[in-house]
Amino acid sequence: MALINVASREIHCKIVYWGTGYCGKTTNLQYIHRQAPQNARGNLLSVATESERTLFFDFLPLDLGNVHGFRVRFHLYTVPGQVLYERTRIAVLNGVDGIVYVADSAQEKLEENYQSLVELETNVRQMGKDLATFPFVMQWNKRDLPDAVPVAVLDRYLNRRKASAFEASAVNGQGVFSTLRAICKGVMARL
Amino acid sequence: MEHLTQLVVSESELGNIARILGRLTMETGGSHVLLLDKSGQLVSAQGQTDQRDIIALGALLAGAFSSSRQVAEILGEKDFRHILQQGVHESIYTSLIGEQWLLVVVFDRQTHVGLVKVLARKSAEDLERVLERVRSGGAQIKDKVVNVHFRDSVANTIDKLFQD
Repeated sequence: MALINVASREIHCKIVYWGTGYCGKTTNLQYIHRQAPQNARGNLLSVATESERTLFFDFLPLDLGNVHGFRVRFHLYTVPGQVLYERTRIAVLNGVDGIVYVADSAQEKLEENYQSLVELETNVRQMGKDLATFPFVMQWNKRDLPDAVPVAVLDRYLNRRKASAFEASAVNGQGVFSTLRAICKGVMARL
Repeated sequence: MEHLTQLVVSESELGNIARILGRLTMETGGSHVLLLDKSGQLVSAQGQTDQRDIIALGALLAGAFSSSRQVAEILGEKDFRHILQQGVHESIYTSLIGEQWLLVVVFDRQTHVGLVKVLARKSAEDLERVLERVRSGGAQIKDKVVNVHFRDSVANTIDKLFQD
């Protein structure tokens, strides 16, 4: 839930990156952490396993600085993507203001992408919200794969709501910031 | 267009919150007391907060609390509304306020956890009343701050900071 603190003149919003295991959620945040201006971001916090799979969440605070006298902050989170962490994903989604759905463009991941999206829709509905009217952006990641599913197929299969969608190769940084700009603006538009 | 649910904390209410947290810090002898939104965002803090990464602490504590509520569901419990994390030197007591905020007390071995629980419960009652007023009073204040010009300025800042 967005927090507007008039006394301390701060606005805080929470954005969650959602998707299957290994789809590139953490890679998105790692790229943002590396490339964003130092004064616009904090430390990247990762609660992960020894093999660097996300166990709980990654957390990256962004600070836009002073805008009309208010400090605007976006807190970015990723969920753990592996199947066994379903309940943990619900916990991380708590209080979310905007969601980025990261799809893995690999052929063999199409069904998993779909199941992950269904799970997200269910969880958002249980929060009393509707993904159709919620700040929501899709990222078609791993476009650099030689056997990447065509975007038109991903769009038809996964994006029936016709949300804004961005092609990306997060490991190279492509599409990461355009996705971020879109979701941040989407959240602000609904505030 | 459906608007995001928001909480708008006014100056007067933040003053009330600061007083309640300050009193709790003093009475428990805690090193610091935090009030967090359940999403992990910091609403207010009192005590020796400059020595800690409060932003990361808020995110982690809210995540842990949120996770514990999922555990409660699996166990068939209605809810877990309090968590105690005990360390060697310091401990953390977290309690849920009105399904929205988390009251966090960080205290050392000099303070007995029973005292923290009793005092935190009293502060929680006061904070619930604040939360009720915050919930009901926010829309007008918000509209003064978040207008078209503000949104445009934020959008420009986003474009400037996060360029490809």
